[in-house]
Amino acid sequence: MSSQLRLILAVLFLCVLGIGLAVYKNRSLGVPLWVGTKATSWLVEAKVSFFHGEAAAPVTVKLALPAAAADESIGQEAGSLGFGYTTEAGLSGLKAVWSARQPSEGSHALYYRVRFPERFKTGGGGEEVKGTPPVAESPGLSGPLEKAAQGLIEKSRAVSADTDTFFTHLFLQVAKDNSAQEVLLLRRHYQNVEKVSEENLLIVMGIDLLKLAGIPARLAHGVRLDANIGPQQALPLIEYCDGATWKVKNPAQPNVSLRSENIFVWNRGGVPLLDVIGGENSKVSFTVVKDMIPLDRMNSLRDSPFLASTILSLPVSERAVFRYVVLIPLGAFVVVILRNIVGIPTLGTFMPVLLALAFLEMDLGLGIVMFAVIVAVGLYFRFLLSSMNLLVVPRVAACVVIVTMLMLLMSLISWRLGVRGVLQITLFPMIIIAWTIERMSLIWEEEGKRNAIMQVGGSVFVAVVAYLVMKVPQIQYWAQYFPELLLVLLAAILLIGRYTGYRLSELHRFRNFSES
Amino acid sequence: MKRWWHRWFRTPKELRAMGVVGINMRNARFLLPNNPRRLYQRVDNKLMTKALAEERGLEVPLTYLVVTSPHDVAFMEKKLLAHEAFVMKPARGSGGKGVLVIDHRDGDTYVKPSGSRLTGAELRHHAENILAGLYSLGGNRDHALIEYRVTPAKVLTEISFQGAPDIRIVMLHGYPVMAMLRAATKESDGRANLHQGAIGIGIDLATGLTVRAVHHGSMITHHPDLKSPLIGVQIPYWDKILEIAVTCHEMTELGYLGVDLMVDETKGPLMIEVNARPGLAIQMANGVGLMKRLMPVVERHKLKPQESAADRIAFSREVLKARTSASA
Ligand SMILES: Nc1ncnc2c1ncn2[C@@H]1O[C@H](COP(=O)(O)OP(=O)(O)O)[C@@H](O)[C@H]1O
Ligand SMILES: [Mg+2]
Repeated sequence: MSSQLRLILAVLFLCVLGIGLAVYKNRSLGVPLWVGTKATSWLVEAKVSFFHGEAAAPVTVKLALPAAAADESIGQEAGSLGFGYTTEAGLSGLKAVWSARQPSEGSHALYYRVRFPERFKTGGGGEEVKGTPPVAESPGLSGPLEKAAQGLIEKSRAVSADTDTFFTHLFLQVAKDNSAQEVLLLRRHYQNVEKVSEENLLIVMGIDLLKLAGIPARLAHGVRLDANIGPQQALPLIEYCDGATWKVKNPAQPNVSLRSENIFVWNRGGVPLLDVIGGENSKVSFTVVKDMIPLDRMNSLRDSPFLASTILSLPVSERAVFRYVVLIPLGAFVVVILRNIVGIPTLGTFMPVLLALAFLEMDLGLGIVMFAVIVAVGLYFRFLLSSMNLLVVPRVAACVVIVTMLMLLMSLISWRLGVRGVLQITLFPMIIIAWTIERMSLIWEEEGKRNAIMQVGGSVFVAVVAYLVMKVPQIQYWAQYFPELLLVLLAAILLIGRYTGYRLSELHRFRNFSES
Repeated sequence: MKRWWHRWFRTPKELRAMGVVGINMRNARFLLPNNPRRLYQRVDNKLMTKALAEERGLEVPLTYLVVTSPHDVAFMEKKLLAHEAFVMKPARGSGGKGVLVIDHRDGDTYVKPSGSRLTGAELRHHAENILAGLYSLGGNRDHALIEYRVTPAKVLTEISFQGAPDIRIVMLHGYPVMAMLRAATKESDGRANLHQGAIGIGIDLATGLTVRAVHHGSMITHHPDLKSPLIGVQIPYWDKILEIAVTCHEMTELGYLGVDLMVDETKGPLMIEVNARPGLAIQMANGVGLMKRLMPVVERHKLKPQESAADRIAFSREVLKARTSASA
């Protein structure tokens, strides 16, 4: 039995290698084996990109940094190929400065990363006024506009006790009375005369209103600490002075604290976020990931060659993708177990894995409802199509169109109903659904609806189990920080590949078996 | 002995004692070691199987037409005018998918055995679906095969409702191991798939007599729709059927395979297809675990690897016969 021997050797080798690497990382490098309960930290990456047109011209890039960056204990680093990097401490806080005399022509990207413990302050707390207290400049509103603004201010002042409550009531009023005369008038002015874009409208208008009320106010920027939204733009916030301290708030959520909204204040003090001299089309975007390794360990780990085997050494924006990629083998493993040992029928081998990934991106319940509705309605249209005697490929393509329209429709309806999350379904594998509908309708016609529903139901069941497995924090942690354990998974799959016992479903299938 | 759990399941130990083979076991111990991948194309493409069979002088249903392009589809009907009855199927189909049996014509329309009718346009559309790969492994483009429609011998039509019954013989190393007859019922709608309600009828390898019939997992003695007796029926041309099966092993070189045959009223036994992954329901029909038949063959093959076809048939008829040959 040489093939058996070869299998055993391969399995042993894979197990020893995988577990050995993991143990080494744990023992020598101190990467904890178990996901810590409070040891997690946030990693925020700012990516500055710009286009450099003339090769001979020098470039200077200044990026405002969070106040926390002055703190030495906070992990931070800057990545910049061919650029000199320093920091510059000014009156209004710290700045990262990159410069190069003759950078190459083309697109450039500069990175700045900051890492801080999860319970770190949001950076939006009160900051004492230094020197003479600031005075609000007049925003320069006049005539009916000023009257309208004053009216709003009076209304808010009447129901508030101090600057903080005034802020809250002012913005609640603006949000509530969106159709009130005064708000409409102001809005129209900022839209048409000042040409302020829709997303900045509230900020610009808010700052002017505050100034008119005699409260010094200026622009600040924040980052949402949400690892699921991918690259994001800086979130504009308002910083205002109550006489003694400067405070930051989000005018869109005036009665909620920044901390409970998970907003990290990146820059304050009224300085521009980004300043690029010598480059065009410059912009800054942020990516956020959650690190599950304690900070002090992380810092000493960075230089180890073994870190290269984890995805930690990748830029943050790439890592966000890998979060799911490393989970795919686990999904495949679940499929192998449920098909070859349990014997659950599925539509296609790895369709359940893709479905499970889709569930990970949205909510499980929502995902199943979406899937069921789209498949049911799609199946109905598919049967309508079948009476038209279409050729196969056009028919599947027609199915894709129908599925796409159904998704648009569902997004629209749920948006109206105020259900969030459905909008993320653009990532829901549409081709997979269209193909599922096609296959299901064929099985429906050929083998009866019982078989069709059994197979699709089996697929969804397998997908849910895979989803639940992928969702376990400990498993996600291992997949991310100990990818070498995938070798052990591979060994397990090889072993199952040689399993010759009965499937659980066969114990039921052969229940009537009798020899007489 | 009947246990309370037998209503829901059997324990692995019980199944092992009866020699029942599961899918994992079939694949790992019999399919993978004995059927090299390169040989699969010989049986997965029915055109190739038929060509091989004709080389060996085996009787197969006469091919009327092979449709390979939309152009052929347009002229298909004209070329079929000479044939009252025919069967259209995908060259790379499996599990009976896409098989269309035309029993006779009525004016411009085609009539299936069940009595339902097809127009010429519907027939062409079916051919187009086959070409597009709708019924084929992996959905690849395919060819449509149109051939002689077998009119089964009378003994066999008496025990099958509308559909034509076919005979399946499972073989290992060229030794017939187990045989069954699949008969359609009203419920199975002319199809011969057991889980769709067809009847599986076990056949004694030694004599060609039916010994046992199973419908939906329970034993029966008479056809549920036709009321005809199912046990003790003599399959005609049994000697010849075994010879055809053994020749199929030789021409495909597959170690583990299932051969499907039909017995025509006038032409006798015709080979319909060879299957490289025969299913496990045959054990239920015979009430015998496949392991009990496969192990003696494995032993014998080790002992005499080069046995002649006639000796192999003799071995199977002698050693692998049903325990109670006359259990009717
Ligand atoms: N030439 C034929 N004449 C009559 N019936 C046929 C013929 N060919 C196939 N059939 C019927 O169709 C069924 C499936 O055909 P088969 O060639 O075995 O295709 P598959 O590979 O899809 O099982 C057979 O079991 C038989 O009942
Ligand atoms: Mg068949």
